[in-house]
Amino acid sequence: MSLLFILIPFLVSAFLLFTRSTASRQIALAASLANLIATLYCLTCDYSQGMNCTFDVPWIASAGIHFSLGMDGITLLMLLLTNLLAPIILLSSWGRTFEHESRYYGLVLLMLGALNGVFLAQDGLLFYIFYELALIPIYFICAIWGGQDRIRVTLKFFVYTFAGSLFMLLSLLYVYLQTPGTHSFAWADLVQAPLSPGASNWVMLGFFLAFAVKMPIFPFHTWQPDTYVTAPTGGTMLLSGIMLKMGTYGVIRWMMPLAPESAHTLVPTFMVLAVIGIVYASLIAVKQSDLKRLVAYSSIAHVGLIAAGIFAWNKAGLQGSLLQMLNHGINVVGLFFVVDLIERRLGTRSLAEMGGIAKSAPKFATLFMIIMLGAVAVPLTNGFPGEFLLLNGVWNYNFWMGAVAGLTIIFGAVYMMRAYGLVVFGEANSETEKFADVDGREFLVLGVIAALVLVLGFFPGLILNLTDISVNRILGAVQL
Amino acid sequence: MTALLILFFTALVAMFTGLTKHRSLLQPITLIGSVLALGSVMVVLPTGWNDLYPTMFVFDRFALAFSGVAILSTALIIALSGWGFRKLDETLGDHYGLILFSVCGALCMFSFTNMVMLFLGIEILSIPLYVLAGSQRDDLSSNEAALKYFLMGSFATGILLFGITLVYGSTASFDLATIGRAIEAGTTSPGMLHVGILLIIFGLSFKVSAAPFHFWAPDVYTGSPNLVTAFMATVVKTAGFAAFYRLFTMAFAPAIATWSLPISIIAALTMVLANTTALFQTNFKRMMAYSSISHAGYLLLAILAIGTVGADRALMFYLLTYAVATIGAFGAFFVVAEQKGDESFAAFNGLGKQSPFLAAVLSIFMLSLAGIPPLAGFFGKYFLFTAAFEKYPWLVVLAVINSAISIYYYFKIIVAAYFTKETPGSTSNNSIVLPASIRWTLVICLILIVLMTIVPGNIYAII
Repeated sequence: MSLLFILIPFLVSAFLLFTRSTASRQIALAASLANLIATLYCLTCDYSQGMNCTFDVPWIASAGIHFSLGMDGITLLMLLLTNLLAPIILLSSWGRTFEHESRYYGLVLLMLGALNGVFLAQDGLLFYIFYELALIPIYFICAIWGGQDRIRVTLKFFVYTFAGSLFMLLSLLYVYLQTPGTHSFAWADLVQAPLSPGASNWVMLGFFLAFAVKMPIFPFHTWQPDTYVTAPTGGTMLLSGIMLKMGTYGVIRWMMPLAPESAHTLVPTFMVLAVIGIVYASLIAVKQSDLKRLVAYSSIAHVGLIAAGIFAWNKAGLQGSLLQMLNHGINVVGLFFVVDLIERRLGTRSLAEMGGIAKSAPKFATLFMIIMLGAVAVPLTNGFPGEFLLLNGVWNYNFWMGAVAGLTIIFGAVYMMRAYGLVVFGEANSETEKFADVDGREFLVLGVIAALVLVLGFFPGLILNLTDISVNRILGAVQL
Repeated sequence: MTALLILFFTALVAMFTGLTKHRSLLQPITLIGSVLALGSVMVVLPTGWNDLYPTMFVFDRFALAFSGVAILSTALIIALSGWGFRKLDETLGDHYGLILFSVCGALCMFSFTNMVMLFLGIEILSIPLYVLAGSQRDDLSSNEAALKYFLMGSFATGILLFGITLVYGSTASFDLATIGRAIEAGTTSPGMLHVGILLIIFGLSFKVSAAPFHFWAPDVYTGSPNLVTAFMATVVKTAGFAAFYRLFTMAFAPAIATWSLPISIIAALTMVLANTTALFQTNFKRMMAYSSISHAGYLLLAILAIGTVGADRALMFYLLTYAVATIGAFGAFFVVAEQKGDESFAAFNGLGKQSPFLAAVLSIFMLSLAGIPPLAGFFGKYFLFTAAFEKYPWLVVLAVINSAISIYYYFKIIVAAYFTKETPGSTSNNSIVLPASIRWTLVICLILIVLMTIVPGNIYAII
């Protein structure tokens, strides 16, 4: 079963890359929907006994490397995030025609397969390989279809993240060499491997470098705003909606369980960095005049809070971070879709040149508002339960950290409301007067996202129940 | 041993066929000869070959596996040569003959059990190459390459010979096993032995182009004809490292305290110097020269890891992935470079449009050389780094940082091929003619890379 999540996208991607099909959009969408159906089917499985739907064949048997997949509630949530957002992301570029369309969709699917692989992998080396594999398609997507200065920006992004994850490879290697016998990369064996306190610090630092660059956490975030702005919208959505969750997921599944010995020495520092990132990115977002850049910085702030929740390593923090990963994915994809929609109609992303859209496009203004409220974490939208749990978790960890991290809600409201006001209200100019309201496809995309924002706001329990057992298990297994 | 004989006689046949009017038969003959030799290696690989001259050479599994790598590389280069050598006339037979003679030397370097045989192997490998490097007689840089290669090569051989003499003086034997026993028993005069080992390290470092003995490589690689450069970068490198490894496991392993520090310094220097210099290159062949030097730096980790289980396998697997990707890259490069008359990166501009196939395979080879997962090159690096990690963690960290640096220059090719428009005003027409023989060779290289990606464990375990 779990192999399907990787096989379907890879096979379809190979087909699209090699055959240059003219119906590439439809094929890609069908493949992503198939994955979504598979994910929904997996919701019914039982995860109380640990991993389910496992798939395990030896890959390099002599070195203890297995092609081993499996899922529990946490993985399932990540799969849900990936495969729920995938059709939305594909639909969002539906109306556009661009060069080498079949290649674009092939690369997107390759990326999806790799992302599913990252979340499913139960073998350290396999995890690393999928983690890096996800980088190759997104590099090409950004460098071929991106905007100005794309080659320099994407190369920086590639080298930055690749270099970070090489340190993770070193950490994995080290832990692997500590496993008994002929060594093994299996998650369960790596967790058992005894580490000396000094070594454990290095191991944790190696993982942290990889994941901190990916999320990104301050001060490893410098690649992110440029890359988000330069990338084509589909690429930005993939990066911000799904790919950065590889980092947060990696912390939960790999970094903390493999080197829990160092939690007391290093995690406080990570926590401080995460909290600094929240405030720093929020302050920059408040001053932004470019809408896409504003959303990019808001994403750093939100992810900083998710990371802080994980570092707190308690029930509320972990549950909140998992819930918020899904919510943030939905919201940020929605926001980038809105940015793209505005940019295509007005030809600009500058807030100064917008205003008065509410009159000419009321449907758009309403849907935008729902998504914006979700991002601000207003009660009864999806952001609220997530951020509430996160702050609760951080607060339990340390009062002051919780207090400072709580500023994110205030700042979030400031920059989001400001942006919304500048875009939608105020005086219309000659361009925005002609702003056409959403068409059928755009309404579908925004409507689905807005519906998700509201449904998950009313019923966060749907998600929390899903991950509850697995979070308890991992907290029980990894006590700091 | 059979492989050695097959290659030798094929070389003889090639030289004589070159004198007749049937020169079009040359490529098929040499290709068949090398494929037969490869087959004969593969047949005896599981058991090892029963030796006729065990005091001189033994074709054990180590020797056979590396022979396989070298002969496979040669066969791929010969497959490319139908188009690459198309302009040659009277000298065509000599070219094929010299290439095969050189491989015979490589085979001696894989299988020697005696220092004399090592020395002979190196000479048999090198002398044909001095000629081949200068085979474009009317090209000044080819002449320069030949002269440089010859002078530097002789110099290195001299140093190596001096080292061998000192080791002989200290242990009273040329036989590897006897030397090993003498060192272990401590019946040697340590000063002479240590200087001898050091000189041998320097001599071999010249051959495998490790810093600070690498200065000849960029000029020689750039000046030599394309296929000869590919041969140097793959077969010669394979032979050099296999000989290095064999000598140091069989003879000098007990003296590890003497040589581990100098080799780790050489390895660190090689990686850092080569990778940083490669960043500034604009000529493809020069970049590949520095790339090959940097790979020598990583490969030295395998020598340092002697004594760790799997070091020989890691070396073999790495060399195989490196050789296939390098030959493939050269194959794609020389089709483009000859048609555009340009050897710089700019030749690749717009390749993605002109020949999607070439651009795609070239990108895959570059990604593999850079060691990006999940391609074969990554597994090569993975095996190598795992073998060395326990004893030399800091060197592995340095190697990892260098792999990250290397992305910059390997990606320049990909950026040129896909994201850069063709230079305006270039005289060539927009399409690249890809000869069928090259296309099929590249497809074979691609299949090999994919195989090593999917079942790395099986290929890794053939030693």
